[in-house]
Amino acid sequence: MEAASVAQTDHHHGPPEANRSSRVEPQLLGMLLFIISEIMVFGAFFTAYFFIRVVQQNDWPAAGTELPVAIAGVNTAILLSSSVTLHWAETALKRDNRFAFKAGMLTTFLLGATFLFIQINEYVHIGFAPQDTAQGSIFYGLTGLHGAHVFIGLLLLGMVTTRAFRGHFSAESHRGVEVPGIYWHFVDAMWVVVYTAVYVL
Amino acid sequence: MTVARRLQAPGLPRAGLGLLMGVALAYAIVLPVRSLYGFDPVLDGEAVTIVSLLAAPFGFLFGLGAFDYWFYWASGRPTRAEDHSGHGAKSWRDYFRVNTDHKVIGIQYTVTSFFFLLVGGALAMLIRAELAQPGMQFVSTDGYNGLFSVHASILIFLFIIPVFAGLANFVLPLMIGAPDMAFPRLNALSYWLLPIAGTMMLLSFLAPGGSFATGWTAYAPLSTDVPVGQLFFTVGVQFAGASSVATALNFLVTIITMRAPGMSFWRMPLLVWANFSTSLLVVIATPFVAASQFFVLLDRALGFNFFVPDRGGDVLMYQHVFWFYSHPAVYIMMLPGFGIISEILSVKARKPIFGYRMMAFSLLAIVVLGFTVWAHHMFVSGMQEWIRVPMMITTAIIAVPTGIKIFSWLATLWRGVLHLDTPMLFALGFLTMFVLGGISGVMLAMIPVVIHVSDTYFIVAHIHYVLFGGSLFTIFAGVYYWFPKMTGRMYDERLGKLHFWMTFIGFNATFGPMHLIGLKGMPRRVADYADQFAGWNLFISLASFVVGLSTLVFVYNMVASWRGGPRAEANPWRALTLEWQVSSPPPTFNFDEVPTVVGGPYEYGVPGAVHGVFKKPAEVTATAGGQE
Amino acid sequence: MRRHQLAQMLILGLIASAGGIALALAIDWFPKVGSHQADRIDTLFDVLLVASVPIFVLVQSIVLFSVWKFRMRPGEELKDGPPIHGSTRLEVVWTAFPALLLVGLCAYAYSVLGDIEKAKPNSMVVNVTAEQFAWHFAYPAAGGGKPVSSDQLYLPANRQIEFKIRSKDVIHDFFVPEFRMKIDAVPGITTKIRVDTRNQRRDYPVVCAELCGLGHATMRQTAHVIPQAEFDSWMQRKEKEAQST
Ligand code: HEA
Ligand code: HEA
Ligand code: CUA
Ligand SMILES: [Cu+2]
Repeated sequence: MEAASVAQTDHHHGPPEANRSSRVEPQLLGMLLFIISEIMVFGAFFTAYFFIRVVQQNDWPAAGTELPVAIAGVNTAILLSSSVTLHWAETALKRDNRFAFKAGMLTTFLLGATFLFIQINEYVHIGFAPQDTAQGSIFYGLTGLHGAHVFIGLLLLGMVTTRAFRGHFSAESHRGVEVPGIYWHFVDAMWVVVYTAVYVL
Repeated sequence: MTVARRLQAPGLPRAGLGLLMGVALAYAIVLPVRSLYGFDPVLDGEAVTIVSLLAAPFGFLFGLGAFDYWFYWASGRPTRAEDHSGHGAKSWRDYFRVNTDHKVIGIQYTVTSFFFLLVGGALAMLIRAELAQPGMQFVSTDGYNGLFSVHASILIFLFIIPVFAGLANFVLPLMIGAPDMAFPRLNALSYWLLPIAGTMMLLSFLAPGGSFATGWTAYAPLSTDVPVGQLFFTVGVQFAGASSVATALNFLVTIITMRAPGMSFWRMPLLVWANFSTSLLVVIATPFVAASQFFVLLDRALGFNFFVPDRGGDVLMYQHVFWFYSHPAVYIMMLPGFGIISEILSVKARKPIFGYRMMAFSLLAIVVLGFTVWAHHMFVSGMQEWIRVPMMITTAIIAVPTGIKIFSWLATLWRGVLHLDTPMLFALGFLTMFVLGGISGVMLAMIPVVIHVSDTYFIVAHIHYVLFGGSLFTIFAGVYYWFPKMTGRMYDERLGKLHFWMTFIGFNATFGPMHLIGLKGMPRRVADYADQFAGWNLFISLASFVVGLSTLVFVYNMVASWRGGPRAEANPWRALTLEWQVSSPPPTFNFDEVPTVVGGPYEYGVPGAVHGVFKKPAEVTATAGGQE
Repeated sequence: MRRHQLAQMLILGLIASAGGIALALAIDWFPKVGSHQADRIDTLFDVLLVASVPIFVLVQSIVLFSVWKFRMRPGEELKDGPPIHGSTRLEVVWTAFPALLLVGLCAYAYSVLGDIEKAKPNSMVVNVTAEQFAWHFAYPAAGGGKPVSSDQLYLPANRQIEFKIRSKDVIHDFFVPEFRMKIDAVPGITTKIRVDTRNQRRDYPVVCAELCGLGHATMRQTAHVIPQAEFDSWMQRKEKEAQST
């Protein structure tokens, strides 16, 4: 696994070039590890969900409340499609198709924003509050935690999009698109789990 | 510099401004929202406190300049290419800036956390003063609860965990032949999160109703209905946790992607292995403590029902989530120490580490097993009974990989040439004391015994034999061992030995008797106790003051030697690992050129053995002898 | 020379362990024995002592012996030890031995656990309710009448008591050191422990062992174990009071 090092000779202007002892990109590995810990955060919330729904054997959803499975299903479709458009944008960038790249980033951003909007709208109309029951608490807990991640993801995508329109990135340098991209794909994948656990099961 | 320009340039003045703006923001958010929802009173102290606790730190970090670069990058403005002005520390002032040099950060980390050792220790002195006699002397009952809660939280989250990260920050990149950590700016950020968390926890003493007083475990529902001081723990832990996750991530990436040519995994010093394992634990486990405190925060601030039984909440859920982090956390507080001991013992016994590979494997075994034992803290919590026996077995089995390490260290000593200077004394002190703490741990794993001793001073004894006799002894050993490398000066050997013997004797006199009074039935976390325990407690308190004094000897030695100690040569211990092959203190950029590793790190006694050479790989590969 | 050093060390170690075990067993670790559970738990603890003292002493004597025999003598500043990298045989031994020992101890602990939690016929139920910062006790009345409630804990001697424990506010912990038994009082659930009282009249402290707020330290009461006959008359008196009120 040892990549031969390129030890640079003039060492007066800076540190020596670090040896690359792994084929994995540092940024990608970092993002991967970050996502692992993110998964564990969700894991903790799912533990709470497990205790409230399974161990305590509370009825789900709480008596007298119901969950808008259909709307949330549509919302799921929207979020997943945003992953597709993002992928589209990335491939476009690698083919140096700037227009497709910009269009892709923009649609991705808008789709994400729509998801978040519908989610908030759902909170307004759902008819129960986290203060009512533990089921309510964990419902808002899980969906809210995910919503927060969507929000952060949108911030990242927003930066990338602005930079895209300022003409940054190219087929050669697209790390700055890929790394936030991975995060966005993770946010989407995690939603599928949340959706299944909260709405479907 | 004019005041205005001071406030614009990144640095402490701007940070102070940011802090104030954070608090202002808190008011700006809370007041409108509350009036919007027609809450009453519109100005609610607790609400403002919560938002300020979250907002002010970010204001501080912005002001300090921790995020500047990323803003430039994100907004697509031209980022100043790293001109390395952030490297090295020319004057003491540079330690109060955002600095990206892992050596500077390492020292920032270490010094900061030792300050918190003094504070946390000082609180322990107050604890012992109160407990010297039965009845109440100095503090109120919940004042006392506050003392041990802050004592433990500070020492765990702001001393043991960060000080290990600090030592590794300085040493680890040098050891693997890397010019710096993989993400220097993230590294700086994770340091600056520490003072925030620590200040927050200490500020809680000023909160109305006193500091947080629910122990470092902050069990719900107690933590959801005590005064506002609790929030300073709930939020403070978030920052401490974020800091250690960021560092762990940094270590993992650095170790995986930046090892010098020839430094295969099986040629890494065991300190690197130890921090690798620890970082895995941190990245996987720490999110759980963050979540557990989120739940408390939500229940408190927004009236959620996670821990409200009448509304379907589950009280024991808190403990499961908390201990799923906090058991691994005890290994987060021990594994780096194991690494330090491996370095010191082989160097000071002039022998290779006995069973190097098993040493590495046992670390990984502990990481895996560490996730399967959390409920051993809940044997008397009333949880489902069937969980207990499986957890008893896994808990006991953890003694096996730990035993492998202990016995391998003993075998490393055997027939060596023992240099009995201060680092070695502390290393041997660790060997002898940690075994006692570990064995009492195995006793605690045996359910019938723990039913009796749980929540008694027997636990307090165990805690301190593993955390003080274990972790803290390794930290002292490590600090003496790398002091020459970090400061370029030698410490005073005589004071060092004095420090060791005072600590060793005082420590045993303090915490040994706790086993007995615990078994006799003295509960922990009590400000007042039955008269039958009066004699022992007085003895313990007196002994604990000796430990306190010994620490002052240490502080004096460090300060005096750093300022006026004799200059240290590059490699005073004749060690093989790479950090000793460069000058003391190391050059700003660690190496002129990345060294090449040609052998194992502990080949003492092997004629002409080298670990790393400072030639370009091309010229070396000829001489490089295959594997270790 | 090497072998005889090892032998020397082992002999010292054995002597020390023997001494250590003797000392450990001589010390009186526990409060008075107030229940059948206490007997079993004390024995288990003694067994654990006998198992762990030798391990502790072994480690200590190797360290001390090495310090004594292998410490650097003047003139050895540049000397190195023999380059011993390991020995698979030894590693197998010190992996397998502790593993076996621990499995054995776990098995024994398991049997003890089963015994101290075994239900006996004619065991008596006492309902314990904890609140900040006091204990309340309730006895199901003999005739299925109104339960007898009391702030004093009276227990019949030589009888199995099943404590059913609840909490009104936060987590507390019902602990009687002489019984060696404790369990948390958790809001929302009912926890239980069984205690077989000794056949002798005595008073024991009841302490709260889980941090529950400012009054935690002072949340203490007394358990009075009295002969069955005496207990019955106390119950009758209490029941009358219950009816009258
Ligand atoms: C550095 C920190 C650290 C470490 C390393 C350990 C290590 C261990 N701990 Fe400890 N523990 C704590 C810190 C630590 N602990 C703290 C802080 C608490 C209290 C939390 C609170 O409530 O506030 C606690 C509480 C605690 C409990 C809960 C008690 C209670 O509250 O009811 C238990 C129960 O099983 C336990 C067990 C163990 C075991 C089995 C080990 C094992 O890993 C030990 C293994 C090591 C050895 C055994 C010695 C070397 C081995 C050999 C020489 C081989 C041969 C030995 C045998 C065959 C016995 N610990
Ligand atoms: C790394 C961890 C660590 C360390 C080093 C210590 C160190 C000490 N601890 Fe601590 N302790 C814990 C971790 C630690 N403790 C934990 C986790 C708990 C459980 C808390 C809970 O129940 O939630 C605990 C609980 C605990 C208790 C039980 C409280 C209770 O349950 O009621 C006691 C009582 O004696 C105690 C005592 C001490 C003493 C005397 C020291 C001594 O070693 C300290 C020695 C003193 C110093 C090192 C400082 C010296 C400095 C000065 C004397 C003055 C200078 C000061 C300034 C300049 C500000 N500790
Ligand atoms: Cu009730 Cu402590
Ligand atoms: Cu544990």
